[in-house]
Amino acid sequence: MKEGRSTTIPWKRMVAWTTLFLVLTGAGSLVYCWHLSSQIEKRFSARRWSIPSRAFSDTTLLYPGQRTNRVLLHEALRRLGYREVAHKPEHKGEMRTSSSRADIFLHDLQVLSRKREGFPVQIQFLQDEIASITRLDNRESLAILELEPEEMTLFFGPERERRQLVSLDQVPEHLIFAILAAEDSRFYRHHGFDPKSMLRAFYTNLRHGGIRQGGSTITQQLAKSYFLTPRRTLLRKAKELLMSLTMEVMYDKSDILEIYLNEIYLGQDGSVSINGVGEASCFYFGKPLAELSLAETAVIAGLIKGPNHYSPCTEKKRCRNRRNAVLRAMNRHGWISEEALQIALTSPIETVDITAYRKRAPYFIDHLSKQLTTLYSPETLSSLGLSIYTTLDTQVQMAAERALSKGLDRLETSYPALQRVAAEQKLQGAIVVIQPKTGYILAMVGGRDYSVSQFNRITQARRQPGSAFKPFVFVSGLDTFTPASLLSNEPRSYVVDGKVWRPQNYEPMGEDRVRLRYALAKSINRATVDLAVRVGLDRVVSTAKAFRFTTLVKPLLSLSLGAFEVIPLELARAYCAFAADGVLPYPLCLKGVSDENGRILERRHMTIERVISPAKAFIMSSMLRSAVTFGTARSLNDMGISFPVAGKTGTTNDYRDAWFIGYTPDILALVWVGFDNAEPIHAPGSAAALPVWAELIKAIPQHISGNWFQMPPGVVRKTICTQTGALASRRSRCKPMEEFFLADHVPTPHPGKPPFNRIVEEFKDVIESF
Amino acid sequence: MSLRVFETVLVLVLSGLTLSSCGAPIWVPPESRLPPPQGAEEASRTPAPLSPRVLASLRLTDQGRTLLERGKTDDAISLLERAVSLHPTNGENYYYLAEAWLMKGNPAQAAEFNRLAGTYLKEDPLWMEKVLTQRKRIEALGQRV
Repeated sequence: MKEGRSTTIPWKRMVAWTTLFLVLTGAGSLVYCWHLSSQIEKRFSARRWSIPSRAFSDTTLLYPGQRTNRVLLHEALRRLGYREVAHKPEHKGEMRTSSSRADIFLHDLQVLSRKREGFPVQIQFLQDEIASITRLDNRESLAILELEPEEMTLFFGPERERRQLVSLDQVPEHLIFAILAAEDSRFYRHHGFDPKSMLRAFYTNLRHGGIRQGGSTITQQLAKSYFLTPRRTLLRKAKELLMSLTMEVMYDKSDILEIYLNEIYLGQDGSVSINGVGEASCFYFGKPLAELSLAETAVIAGLIKGPNHYSPCTEKKRCRNRRNAVLRAMNRHGWISEEALQIALTSPIETVDITAYRKRAPYFIDHLSKQLTTLYSPETLSSLGLSIYTTLDTQVQMAAERALSKGLDRLETSYPALQRVAAEQKLQGAIVVIQPKTGYILAMVGGRDYSVSQFNRITQARRQPGSAFKPFVFVSGLDTFTPASLLSNEPRSYVVDGKVWRPQNYEPMGEDRVRLRYALAKSINRATVDLAVRVGLDRVVSTAKAFRFTTLVKPLLSLSLGAFEVIPLELARAYCAFAADGVLPYPLCLKGVSDENGRILERRHMTIERVISPAKAFIMSSMLRSAVTFGTARSLNDMGISFPVAGKTGTTNDYRDAWFIGYTPDILALVWVGFDNAEPIHAPGSAAALPVWAELIKAIPQHISGNWFQMPPGVVRKTICTQTGALASRRSRCKPMEEFFLADHVPTPHPGKPPFNRIVEEFKDVIESF
Repeated sequence: MSLRVFETVLVLVLSGLTLSSCGAPIWVPPESRLPPPQGAEEASRTPAPLSPRVLASLRLTDQGRTLLERGKTDDAISLLERAVSLHPTNGENYYYLAEAWLMKGNPAQAAEFNRLAGTYLKEDPLWMEKVLTQRKRIEALGQRV
């Protein structure tokens, strides 16, 4: 009996202890699961992902008769994700180009409050001109075609993840089947973990003596990537298991699958990771999920196992094998037919061009970011997935970047003294291109190399404008002087700040008196100072203030020759008034912002203010046209610029800054060249900045109409004597020319000489004629 | 011989002086002989009335006007701005932009665009009538044009 008790008690004890252990473990697990559930709920109910906001360029307009730069247009199409195909484009994002035409199946277009379904279109070219644009689906001729905007940058938070959220009903069924086939074919049959597949994986790994197969279900993978560290420990595995079970209890399968599809890591773009199937579809194939082929869905599903190992861009063979394995698994499960399998197995893998992620137009984006920070916090920008639409024209931006780079290289080759070894000491340059009527900033290059220097020389630099400021002295004088008025070109001394100052001309000028038009065209310093003195410096200063220069200091006489600092963007903006009927536009870079659902949050439009009359603006443009035809910028005519242009060069003391600001009624561009530390560049604006301008403008024919300004009301055209600047008459003995005047400010005829002298002179003429 | 030359010269001088006194006070030589002021040749050359650029712009103007009629002011402004960028001398764009800014309750911007419309539509009496009516509406809001 004793013995019997002694054998019974340990057995009973063991059962009791085991039961207690199981109860305690179960209770502990339940408590822990309850703890996990609150963690999961908190994570799932809050915003699940930070979606970086995206900044887009402006859309591109194409129309028949438009001159284009075929190279830049083709590059823009490639950046937009259009891929070359040999056949007639049948799907969105495909294009077939030849020397005379481009057949493009357009992507959908979505900009602020506008949506357009993609359609196939044919653009016929006659050399560099668009001959016609025809829809290929209904043969309709189009008067205008709008290409979608380009993504310029993403406003990342610390995660640096690209992601486009998709709902489960947006995901094609064959993609879901492909992912299930690749990762978890029993997803709809298990409860978070799958002992069968775990055992199979365990056996496979044991057989190969290493980890060859993972047994994690989709729910486990989600738990791992959403809540846990990638470390492989037993404790973490147990936690993953409990978390999966808890998730399955709390949420239904479709919720878990949808989160998984948006969360999963699918590749790398430079320093940025590609997450979620929505982003992967656009990143690899340049199209939304709904347009993916069966084979392409299998590629994406195959990537989950190792996005970089099976990359369709770099590891094509490996990727094809993996894709085919996924396709065969789909067929094995009965999710695709044998026929579909055979077609998909033989289809090639065609991805869009992928270049490592980098901020495009970085100086422009920095300028934009500064404006955005007044509207949104950095956290909002990096998490709410806003779409930010800008005025940037990517083709103009590319042309500007290349023109500056080539121009500076050329200068360094021509003037070896300009070469510097240290990257941060190299010769610098900057360009801004503005549409003068609207103020849209089309391009901005704030320096030679953004990776070396992020200092934006268009918006942050303060440089002396030199002669580029002279037009503002001349426009100050238009109430009392005319383009035909005479100015003194004689050497004179002035007292500036208690010191004697003798302005010198850049080159010797024989004439003692010169007309205003001539003085501005030839950029004559002495005549400009004479004008400033006669007009009054206060008046020049008030003109500069009216043109919104914010950096004026003292009203010194040297101001008239641009011996003060300006912000280049302000200088470009001020010139816009001459090109826009006297109206000063606000330099606009932001057009609008919408949230991830397309709701418009912000809208910006052109804003203008009149600073001078259209008549004065016209006369200024006419005089600045002279600078190009016979003045300091005349070399422009030898650089292939055959259409009317107005412009002004600028060179500062000791050649520290070289400027050229040139414009047509359609476009205005400012080019600055110099060293950051103000060392001399040994070249004037006409040699350093002007060739860059010419190169840029020639590359963007789509922005040049070739028209000139229409003569506005309040301007009259009269014949004058070139020598006196007075109206020409029968009595005046002079070389006549035509000149524009403000209608209420026309000069009087020259009084002429006494009658007797005239008779003698005419008598002499007659004699000479014999 | 010398007397005959003197007589000829005298006749020519006198007839020249007589003719000159009969002429207009300001002598304007034929255009072709004069060097034009810079921009004159282009100023007198009006752009082709229906160039492709103008046609594309007119299409945008039309779409902008339609949006304006539907009350989609911001969308209309965006399109009209694109139209301005293609065809900056089409005064109709400025007229509609002035309308849009009036609808947005900004008479100051409306005044600026109305002025530009007046500049470019001055040769068109029908349009000028509309521009002047618009101007009165802007001025009625206390904004000088």
